[in-house]
Amino acid sequence: MSWEMVIGLEVHLQLGTRSKMFCGCPTTFGNPPNTNVCPVCLGLPGTLPVPNESAVRLGTRAALALGCTVHRRSRFARKHYFYPDLPKGYQITQYDRPLATGGAVVIDSPERGAIEIPIDRLHLEEDAGKSLHDRLPGKTLVDLNRAGVPLAEIVSAPVLRSPAEARAYLTALKQLLTWIEVSECSMEKGSLRVDANISLRPLGAARLGTRTEIKNLNSFSNVERALVAESARQQAILDGGGAVTQVSLTFNADTGQVRAMREKEASRDYRYFPDPDLPPLLLDEAWVAACRAELPELPAARRARLISEFGLSPYDAGVVNGERRVADYFEAVVGAGADPKTAANWVSGEAMIGFNATGTFAVSAAQLAQLIGMVRDGVVSHQAARQVYAELGPAAGEPRQVAERLGLLQIRDTVALERWVTEVLGAHPAEVERFRGGETKLLGFFTGQVMKRSQGQADPQRIQPILVAKLRGE
Amino acid sequence: MTAVTAARATGQALERAEAAGLNATLAWSNTALEAEAARVDSMPVPGPLHRLPVAIKDNICTAEQPTTCGSKLLEGYHSPYSATVVDRLRAAGAMVACKTNLDEFGMGSSTEHSAFGRVKHPLAPERVPGGSSGGSAVLVAVGAVPMALGSDTGGSVRQPAAFCGVVGVKPTYGRVSRYGLVAFGSSLDCVSVFGKTVSDAESLLWAVAGHDWRDATSVDRPIPDRAPARTTLEGVTIGVPVEYFPADLDAGIGAGCQAVIARMRELGARVVQVLLPHTRYAVPTYYIVAPAEAASNLARFDGGRYGARRGPHADIAALYQGTRGHGFGAEVRRRILTGTYVLSAGYAEAYYVKAQSVRARIAADFTAVFAGGVDCLFTPTTPTPAFAAGDKIQDPVAMYLADIFVCPASLAGIPALSLPIGRTKGLPIGGQLMAPMFEEASMLGIAKLLERSLDGSAEVVR
Amino acid sequence: MSVSAEAVLRLAQLAELAVADAELPALTAQLDRIVTFVAQLATVPNPSEHAAGPPEPAPVALRPDVVRPAGLARDISAFAPEVVDGFFVVPRLGAMDGS
Repeated sequence: MSWEMVIGLEVHLQLGTRSKMFCGCPTTFGNPPNTNVCPVCLGLPGTLPVPNESAVRLGTRAALALGCTVHRRSRFARKHYFYPDLPKGYQITQYDRPLATGGAVVIDSPERGAIEIPIDRLHLEEDAGKSLHDRLPGKTLVDLNRAGVPLAEIVSAPVLRSPAEARAYLTALKQLLTWIEVSECSMEKGSLRVDANISLRPLGAARLGTRTEIKNLNSFSNVERALVAESARQQAILDGGGAVTQVSLTFNADTGQVRAMREKEASRDYRYFPDPDLPPLLLDEAWVAACRAELPELPAARRARLISEFGLSPYDAGVVNGERRVADYFEAVVGAGADPKTAANWVSGEAMIGFNATGTFAVSAAQLAQLIGMVRDGVVSHQAARQVYAELGPAAGEPRQVAERLGLLQIRDTVALERWVTEVLGAHPAEVERFRGGETKLLGFFTGQVMKRSQGQADPQRIQPILVAKLRGE
Repeated sequence: MTAVTAARATGQALERAEAAGLNATLAWSNTALEAEAARVDSMPVPGPLHRLPVAIKDNICTAEQPTTCGSKLLEGYHSPYSATVVDRLRAAGAMVACKTNLDEFGMGSSTEHSAFGRVKHPLAPERVPGGSSGGSAVLVAVGAVPMALGSDTGGSVRQPAAFCGVVGVKPTYGRVSRYGLVAFGSSLDCVSVFGKTVSDAESLLWAVAGHDWRDATSVDRPIPDRAPARTTLEGVTIGVPVEYFPADLDAGIGAGCQAVIARMRELGARVVQVLLPHTRYAVPTYYIVAPAEAASNLARFDGGRYGARRGPHADIAALYQGTRGHGFGAEVRRRILTGTYVLSAGYAEAYYVKAQSVRARIAADFTAVFAGGVDCLFTPTTPTPAFAAGDKIQDPVAMYLADIFVCPASLAGIPALSLPIGRTKGLPIGGQLMAPMFEEASMLGIAKLLERSLDGSAEVVR
Repeated sequence: MSVSAEAVLRLAQLAELAVADAELPALTAQLDRIVTFVAQLATVPNPSEHAAGPPEPAPVALRPDVVRPAGLARDISAFAPEVVDGFFVVPRLGAMDGS
């Protein structure tokens, strides 16, 4: 039988706030254990949560960018379970009244092309701490620095059809969330985490099969690999006439296998109820409208505009638009007078290499525009411009000065050029004769000789007319 | 007199209370009292509670003394921070006198459910002082302190105030910060006050009240002026809800209340009968909402980060079950199980959700009566005077019904107080006033006039 | 009986409370009495569509995003049962093992 995969993803996103969701502790990463803690995030008796305004604002911003409806009224609920890194015995999250519902992300599916993936909901919650199980035999060590860090959970509709599509969804989501600056979106630092739900059903069937959940996937490629492994496992069960049981799984990246987590049977009854410590979260329309107004132009719209306004190819537009700062840089280069297509080549080429390595652009947009102009005007060759670019930086000065210092300026002085041409022709009488006999391809030889004589500084574009005139004129 | 002198007198009074076997005090020491006295004496400007010793219920966190909540689970626990109310009363010049005994985590109506032994009634040692703030009520009743902090979730200040013959005031929910009050029923918990007189209670209430950003349910409203001394009740409408005078009301209490009603008429009040039809559902509603919240609030006591570990703990489940199973007392465990039941899958709709809807109706009953022109409601605080220790300990529901007149105001979030209105068979009787949200000042004004017009320690003649 | 001994054991497991066999019958009877008592709310009719609900509670006040940890007067080692290298220490997860 042919099976169809039904995949839904839950993305946990650490919101880029300074302080935690419900207390004033810092959210910095990598501090010694239990140093970013206070009575509130330790869950000490008598303490109470107070929500962070920035977390609500960043969550709203993400929801608006995803096209969700942001609810005027939402509320926090308690989700109960016992675990060593959950200090209160419950997690404060949103349950029946989430911050936002009903958005969508357009993804580039390898199988289906550009498709829209609906977002079911986005809600706010607090993170748990960290348990270390392998440091002391028979013991678990608990660090609560991360406990209470603000998260947005973004739940997709279960409409993804392949592991590759799941990865495309995550790529598009990460691009958008990074773009609007709500999160660092670093899987290495745990600021972006993924749980994947997957079930199989006979191709064409409407009813969903039993799903399993793979928890805490820590890279996009592991999401893809885990889904491949789990779909194969489910298919083997179903093909053998068996039934999939609902279970939570972990993925071992070393073996490439999924494994069921041991859970107590009762632990799924989370006993949600509205948190009595937190009155409803009410957002007035003006506040939401202000959040909307602060949103930058979003990636899809910008890519379309890069194509229509600057005549970029869809591919170039995609590359330049990969990150908001790159697109901003591109537009600044064009704004400073550079030709858009040339600018796109530079930005996606030389500039991108440096940006990927350092996260910044060493050469200002104005400098790059000048350099592009110098190539256009024949002041430097394209080759020379790349050398100039490599030398440019905040302290290196203007492109023309750098080119001059490196001796890369092209000589366009007709007198000098004529002198070199005359010298070259004088030195190669045999070749002159052959040229005049019809061997016109020798023009390249003469050009090379002039360049050599000028030590590479002659403008090749200008040498040729002089050469041709002299060769014919004699 | 210096604070040091006051501190010594307080120490002696606490020693006498201990010697009498009342078991009202938990942590306290003369050394700590003297340190408090030195602190108060060094304050540049005397505060409104200058040199007054205040006893603090032991479910309110203090960084200087242990905070046990009357539980074995927190035996020896020193909170690394103090509650907002403690910071405020100290800033007002008061001295923290001692921590007081209570029903474990505030769960009980007799102060028999303390891991550190029951508190005795000051007038009749075989009887209970009420609860859960029994220790605080007793220390005020015997004059060891003029005022004390308690917490009132479903009557836990008003009911012991009535049993012990002192004043107990529960403010509007949100009027006083809960930061540092160990949570029992978060939507009901109110830090509340005891005083020997209405004026004492009022002083303490306004010293600790006011908005606190650390408590998202605390209300940002100005603190009113102290209630002016009334001389009449002209222009005041007092509502008397018929549901609070059932046929089985203790006869002495009924007579005492009728005497107060007659006195209020003499003072010029218009007294009207009113209906609060959902009153009879208040106790069952309360015993769904409060345990549900309690089960959740007490989930943090797992022996992981603080508190005393109990039993074997080969693995984490053994640690949790042992610590919680043996650390919590019988009543707390019953409430946790009840609360878990009413929130669990398949039952939440019928119990927890339903209780929320009935709670809204109970609140709406009060809103309607106050909207109809009633300024204040008058009722008995309790259906009986202080009962004998052991009387209700085997029957939790009978114990719950001791709160039948006090838990409606808790569910509605409105302010209420109990003041002594006389005695029956030698035991104090409390009369309860209930007022609209944030109308504490007018309620306290009426209470002060009644206090002057009645002899709260007189035997009521049937 | 609306609450069985099995139900009490399931609740005890959810709430992580050890219940000794000897105390189970009495505890079951007490819980049954309590649940039966509170179940009387079922007789209250549900409010009609038009009935006025309770007034809207004041919205939650948000805290500015400022790093301002609440004070800890004592280090965690002063109140924690077991601390190693700054970590809280608890027994291994056993049946709850999620790793």
